[in-house]
Amino acid sequence: MTTRRAFLASLLAAGASPAVGWAAVGDPSYLAAAKLPDGSYMLAGLREDGSEAFRVPLPARGHAASAHPSRAEAVGFARRPGTYALVVDCRDGAVLHRLTPPEDRQFNGHGTFSPDGSLLYTVEQRVEDSAGFIGLWDAEANYTRIGEFESHGVGPHDLRMMPDRQTLVIANGGIQTDRWDRTKLNIETMRPSLVYTALDGTLLEKRDLPEFSQNSIRHLALRGDGLVGFAMQWEGEPGMAPPLLALHRRGEELVLCEAPLGDELAMDGYAGSVAFSGDGAEIAITSPRGGRLHRFSESGAFLGSVSRDDICGLASHAGGYMASDGLGGVMLISPEGATPLRRAEAAWDNHLVPIRA
Amino acid sequence: MRYALLLCASLAASHAAAGVEDALTHDILPGFAGFTAASTALAEAAGADCTAPALRAPWNAAFDAWTRIGDVRLGPSETGALSVVFWPDARGFTPKTLSRMISGEEPAGRDLEAFAHVSIAARGLFALEQMLYDDAFAGYESGSYGCALVQTMTADLAAQAGALESGWRDGFAQVILSAGEAGNATYLSPEEALRAVYTQVLSSLEFTADTRLGRPLGTFERPRPTRAEAWRSGRSLRNVLLDAAAAKDLAVALADWEMPATEAAMDRLEQVAARVTDPAFQDVEDPAARLRVEIVQQHVRALHDAIEQELGLPLGLTPGFNSQDGD
Repeated sequence: MTTRRAFLASLLAAGASPAVGWAAVGDPSYLAAAKLPDGSYMLAGLREDGSEAFRVPLPARGHAASAHPSRAEAVGFARRPGTYALVVDCRDGAVLHRLTPPEDRQFNGHGTFSPDGSLLYTVEQRVEDSAGFIGLWDAEANYTRIGEFESHGVGPHDLRMMPDRQTLVIANGGIQTDRWDRTKLNIETMRPSLVYTALDGTLLEKRDLPEFSQNSIRHLALRGDGLVGFAMQWEGEPGMAPPLLALHRRGEELVLCEAPLGDELAMDGYAGSVAFSGDGAEIAITSPRGGRLHRFSESGAFLGSVSRDDICGLASHAGGYMASDGLGGVMLISPEGATPLRRAEAAWDNHLVPIRA
Repeated sequence: MRYALLLCASLAASHAAAGVEDALTHDILPGFAGFTAASTALAEAAGADCTAPALRAPWNAAFDAWTRIGDVRLGPSETGALSVVFWPDARGFTPKTLSRMISGEEPAGRDLEAFAHVSIAARGLFALEQMLYDDAFAGYESGSYGCALVQTMTADLAAQAGALESGWRDGFAQVILSAGEAGNATYLSPEEALRAVYTQVLSSLEFTADTRLGRPLGTFERPRPTRAEAWRSGRSLRNVLLDAAAAKDLAVALADWEMPATEAAMDRLEQVAARVTDPAFQDVEDPAARLRVEIVQQHVRALHDAIEQELGLPLGLTPGFNSQDGD
């Protein structure tokens, strides 16, 4: 019996490309992981109308997935402590590769592909002190690890390639965690930062939050002109109602996006996902704890809220935003309000990941 | 096992609409009407005599009425409740804003319409508590700016109560009752509305245990008595009991079956609460007094667990997938 891998190898040997594009799995626009009613996990591809392009089983609950820009492959990261990541074939859920970080590193959140899909960048932390690293993996050579560089901060969580394709932007959450039980060790002294590096890791710019140093910078959104939005999670005393979103443009000061006090309190100090609207004119964050989404203008002015229990996943959509929640809902969010696109018998996990974003 | 799951699902489906409608019509909507009546009475009392001693009784009655529905943070209450009860005030906004308004005799303090736009920290029951009970504020005399401010605050509270009541009765009640119908983007099924109301029961009890009781308890080494809710007026323990009773009643309204363990847990909570020596929790620096408050906290959690067992479990309701899980 020919194994799948041997079959692929024979294709390679014959000079044919085994790479299967996203069109072969129904042309999804987003990846979304979910828990099914029977307790198992899946990865689904969703189209802009909310319909499912594909669904494949996942062996365990994953962290955020990363979508290869052209091949129908997704990388799912193990939940903390991140001791492995799986490259999954979106046609059938077959695990194509298992990525293991070096011995003293843990995956710590997200990863992203280079625009041409040749490299995978992963966010990692050093086990002993949570110092941040970006791991480099060759996606053209069975995801061989080929290098790493510092994230110039502690506890990084998310990273993106800037539109110039020469710069990475990194969210250093600032939190040092115990290697075994993930206890947070430095809440009083944490210093989250937003960092830009060259592709060789050279530090280009670093911004922190002197006023809100207990606001962990967790997730990133990027607009085509290089405007960066970052979502935060408050680790300080409850009820302080800090801003949970900020905007940044290279070389400029941070812009904190503040909602009215009552709305800010209702977010419960937690933003789970961030995305620009499809036309880039505005940006939103979600709070599953508050069951709310907050919209802000590109200059940081509060535009309004949408209430939806356990809302978390969020991505750009031609009509505004696509949002997903733990009750199975998939919504289109526009300035006019929310429109349900579908309700799946599945609890959608934290993120909606755009494909080819 | 699969059979059991299906049974649960169908129980939830058949029960969802009835339980939620019961809770709305017999519990939530009358609760908001009661708060409107009590806060209107407070505003009328303030119109007749604005001084602190005259207003403490009607203010307490308004707070009692609020506890019936205060922890149901859905729809109009999601942000609307925060300008009725701005607490905890971690950054000390309430005394700061009140001091600023009074020392500057800011015009908004005499103008009901303008007052609706001042910081929510200066509005509602807790700002009034400081005006009526805190030595820094409560000595104002009839005819003073403080007197006018209190009259404006009570009128604003009554207006907020009316807006919340009509927001629920004429607006959000329909969103709940039309759960699952086309165009309802808040609740995509009747079960989701049931789950939302049920979640309010549990989060109320969690807030009572973790914050209303946990905040003044602080740590054994460092108790924080002045972080108790409504300690100035000595209502801290009363709020714990009334909020717990309201949560329990809402749970009972959602169920159409007996909940004996829940009723027993409420009885035990009242028994252990009767042993607390200072209803404002100002003696929690004394280890024996602290222990009695900790026991109350344990019994609030026991009530929470009983409701999960007797209501959540049969309905197949579980906590949110994402809200329970940081990322």
